[in-house]
Amino acid sequence: MLEVRQLSVRYGKHAALHEVSLSVAEGETVVILGANGAGKSSLLRAIAGLVTPEPGGEVKLDGRPLNAVPAHLVLEAGIALVPEGRGVFADLSVIENLRLGAYAQRARNSAAGNLARVFDIFPRLRERQRQTVATMSGGEQQMVAIGRALMSSPRLLMLDEPSLGLAPILVQELFEVLANVRRSGVSLLIVEQNVRASLSISDRGYLLEAGRIVGEGGAADLIDDPAVQRAFLGTASRV
Amino acid sequence: MFVTTLIAGLVLGGTYALVAMGLTLQYGISRIMNLAYGETIIAASFLAYALSASFNINPLVSLVLAAPLGFIFSYLIYGLMLRPLVARSKTAVALEIDSILATFGLLFVIQGVMLVMFGGNYISYTYMNFGVDILGASVAANRLLALVLALAIGGGLYLLLTYTLWGTALRAVAVAPGVAPLVGIDANRAVRLAFALGGALAACGGVVISMYQTFTATTGVVFTMKALIVVIMGGVGNLLGALSAGLILGLVETFVATYVSPGLTLAAVYLIFLGILLWRPSGLFGRARR
Repeated sequence: MLEVRQLSVRYGKHAALHEVSLSVAEGETVVILGANGAGKSSLLRAIAGLVTPEPGGEVKLDGRPLNAVPAHLVLEAGIALVPEGRGVFADLSVIENLRLGAYAQRARNSAAGNLARVFDIFPRLRERQRQTVATMSGGEQQMVAIGRALMSSPRLLMLDEPSLGLAPILVQELFEVLANVRRSGVSLLIVEQNVRASLSISDRGYLLEAGRIVGEGGAADLIDDPAVQRAFLGTASRV
Repeated sequence: MFVTTLIAGLVLGGTYALVAMGLTLQYGISRIMNLAYGETIIAASFLAYALSASFNINPLVSLVLAAPLGFIFSYLIYGLMLRPLVARSKTAVALEIDSILATFGLLFVIQGVMLVMFGGNYISYTYMNFGVDILGASVAANRLLALVLALAIGGGLYLLLTYTLWGTALRAVAVAPGVAPLVGIDANRAVRLAFALGGALAACGGVVISMYQTFTATTGVVFTMKALIVVIMGGVGNLLGALSAGLILGLVETFVATYVSPGLTLAAVYLIFLGILLWRPSGLFGRARR
């Protein structure tokens, strides 16, 4: 479904991403593992249209080219991003954030159904509809961010470090929600430092190091891979 | 005397609130500090005057004409003049400086055109110039109409921004322009529409003002200043803040002029402005919410 080929991103002289290629199949959950500064966020932001990649690379959704397409049209094509730090509209209420999630033309007609679904997944959001998001806890704001992304009827949901800054019990809850979303047929592309938990809900994974893909494999193989264990699992036993 | 002053204050305050709402859209959502804002107001005043004097057209009809004209004019100005500045500016501060300089020039262009067309004299026309009895005080009907129009247009804008998905999207761009594209909002288009909507508000304000006040081709600066004070007092991008701050400013001006001294109105205005800036630097109601 999603095909990324030779994608490079530069910020001035600094190359954040170097000729990265990856793919996500329909209904598949893929995790990208890498240390801080490996280029994970740049990768998701380039796919989402928030940063312009270097010429020569390619992003395709079902064969349709998406590079150099502005972010609001990437969403319209069916790719939603929950950015690092959540990116909610903090001064607006929960319900306003969720309604805006269905702003895209593709989601207008299914807004009511999607809202019911989001409230099923996050009952707390139903209770707190009128609350201003800025006054909510980090975990609740993450719910708003994921709920808002689901409101756009995405075919591919990208999440940038969704567990960052959450208490361990909330991290567990978060991965249950993501497993739930995955079962509903939405493809997931997740960037995470929480290696064990994210691999446990994924089909495949890629290893990103200094802006390059240095390894890939099935989720089960990666958990047992000595290189992954050395690089990540030693330090990532936060759950 | 008290009732007359109160109503005069509310009329003036309602006008300030109306024009400040347009500026708060342009500054709060589009991030353009538009120094030519008052000139848009006065241009609409001249339109109402010209239509009334030459063709005997009712100012209410002019109002319906002026709003879309103000919208189109501001839409074009944004696209031709301001969008290139937005595209090249790397920071919000750079854009603020660029937009101040560019619209400062635009101010003189519009003012010059008006001076050539209408001259520099004080202008007014007669419309609904009869008294209405309210609680024993006689109030000019055109002033009452101005107050009603200001509240209706301002209230309508508030409802539009608060309860429609489109209005919520504009507020979303105001609070988090970088995030808006992630929900499918074309932020560039949204800020252009917000700027145009601000221009429509300015045009409405101009017609309303012309119904009861004299004005000249160079009065615009005064309204830009007053609107700016109201916007900062109410909190940038905050419509209810602009409404309240506008009413406060109008009431203070009128009461000081009546009961203290007409010479002290500006001093009183700036004293309150200073007090609010010291006491609540982000305005009475804080930054952009609605």
